[in-house]
Amino acid sequence: MRTRAILGSILASTSVLIVGYQAGVSVTTSDGTSLSLPVDAATNGTAGGTNAGTDATTDSSTGSTSSSTPGSDTAAAAPTTAGPADGTYTGSSVSTRFGNVQVAVTIASGSITDVTALQLTDEDGRSVQISNRAAPILRSEVLSSQSAQVSNVSGATYTTDAYLSSLQSALDQAGA
Amino acid sequence: MSTQVRPRAATARPRTALAAVATAPDYRRNFARRARLSDLLVVALWASGAAAAALFLASGGVDQFTSVAETVTSIGIVSGLVGTDFILVMLVLAARIPLIDRTIGHDRAIAVHRSLGKPALYLLLAHGALLLTGYGLSSGINPIAEIGPMLSLPDMPLAFIALGLMIAVVVSSLIAVRRRFSYEGWHLVHLLSYVSVAFALPHQLSVGGVLADGTLQRVYWIALYVVALGSIVTFRFAEPLVSSLRHRMRVAAVTEIAPGVSTIQLAGNDLRGLEASGGQFFIWRFWTPRTWWHSHPISLSAMPTASSARITVRNLGKGSAQLTTIPVGTRVSIEGPYGLFSDAARTSPKLAIIAAGIGVTPVRALLEQASFAPGEATILLRASTAEETYHWDEIRAIAAAKGATCYSMIGHRPRGVDSWMTAADYERGVTLQSAFPDLADSDVFLCGPTAWLDLIEADVHSSGIRPQQIHAERFDW
Repeated sequence: MRTRAILGSILASTSVLIVGYQAGVSVTTSDGTSLSLPVDAATNGTAGGTNAGTDATTDSSTGSTSSSTPGSDTAAAAPTTAGPADGTYTGSSVSTRFGNVQVAVTIASGSITDVTALQLTDEDGRSVQISNRAAPILRSEVLSSQSAQVSNVSGATYTTDAYLSSLQSALDQAGA
Repeated sequence: MSTQVRPRAATARPRTALAAVATAPDYRRNFARRARLSDLLVVALWASGAAAAALFLASGGVDQFTSVAETVTSIGIVSGLVGTDFILVMLVLAARIPLIDRTIGHDRAIAVHRSLGKPALYLLLAHGALLLTGYGLSSGINPIAEIGPMLSLPDMPLAFIALGLMIAVVVSSLIAVRRRFSYEGWHLVHLLSYVSVAFALPHQLSVGGVLADGTLQRVYWIALYVVALGSIVTFRFAEPLVSSLRHRMRVAAVTEIAPGVSTIQLAGNDLRGLEASGGQFFIWRFWTPRTWWHSHPISLSAMPTASSARITVRNLGKGSAQLTTIPVGTRVSIEGPYGLFSDAARTSPKLAIIAAGIGVTPVRALLEQASFAPGEATILLRASTAEETYHWDEIRAIAAAKGATCYSMIGHRPRGVDSWMTAADYERGVTLQSAFPDLADSDVFLCGPTAWLDLIEADVHSSGIRPQQIHAERFDW
């Protein structure tokens, strides 16, 4: 009797854990596609992939920015000869399991003068707290390094990756 | 007393050659079904714990264990999930769900409930400590300093209160601490567990990502809460209320049958509709200004008729002393029937019943209802003095009518020896086997004060019969 209960418990618990693990693997791999693109290889090939994946979000959530961006784009594109054009560029919206991340970058006289977070990981209370801590650090690091090649903010890996990935796509638009 | 137990030297009673009566219930199959269900409940308990951990794995997989800080945080989240799952399982076990009561009995359900208390609290304490450490590590501050930022999160102050309440609830239930409380004082603290469970829920849904909005995990988790709190509301509150209103019981008569022992006769509607079995108990509440706040678990001492029921109480404490002077006409509310100390727990065709002191009350009702053929039941009644032979006349009458053998033992236990028998019977060489030659084919029902019951239960266990044949009920109140 007891043996049956023990064996049954072991079997049931193991199966439940395996199912949970499998479900977890599929979550991370589907997230992985949007997370692997950042920093290192954020150029055309992969960036195209992200945009395809997040088009809907970008369009609906950033009505104001997408209308202003082309304006500043065209205004700024002409005078600059080389390097990034002046203006404000909105990066693509990158989704993570803690929420979407999207930033806008302001470029003046060829250098990054400001990074604004339009949306940060905000799926739950803890994520909001992490984002709020990570965003100022990321902003100042980006401003000092003048690129998206900055180190990870510890404890905020998802936010960092998504932030830099969105930033890179904005810089790509600027032609940096 | 005319009915003395034979000592070992006497020749064994001839075994009844009668084959089991055709209409006798199939005890073996009934027990197999209960055992299957009971195993299933054990499996469900462990699987629900595993499911709580699986929720975490499903939400992010094993790559949440890549750095030290993340690993500490992840283990912290898992221990919170499993700890909370245990708390919810404890609620289910304490909800007196009929299926669970019929399967493992109220006693065992509460025993499992108790045994989960400390592990659940340890897991929740680990949850708090590990998350403060893990979050602290990832933001580069010490765990104590992390308390500030944590409290600034929405719903977290409530969660801290919830943990504090749970500590109070579990600590007040530790045996050493509980002894210092009155039952009511302890119960009041214990009710805080509902507040704790409720206060802990918001942070689970809002702070962590595991149960995020729109996930299957969130649906499952909320369903767990609904099942746990729903069964408490249904079976602890709604069902007893409906039953009390339907049967409208009142005290009809209080009769003192021995010094400090009274029978309370109750009148009500359709009392057979209670579907109580002999040996089961109800939790009674007598609605007078002095007694309404005190509930009493008391067994029926006779099978209910359509309009009347009877209990027998001994004033063992302040609460039950007041019961012996309860006015006729007092309204009575009930919860029950509960317990597996009844024919429903039978596994064998024969019956061996041993009761001491006030422990005869459930046995009196059990014997009245139990199904057995003449010669298949043996009863041994035990008392320290002739004054404590409550209802013995009734039991003898039932035994005579149904063809059961009834022995009695009156006197104190032998000095310096651990025996459940009287000194005289112990010296004559009486043993369990000499009194109950058919023990191996019997269900043994034991009821009496704890100290005595521990002795006889040990004796019965050492006789080598299967544990499921032993049914014990301790009278501590």
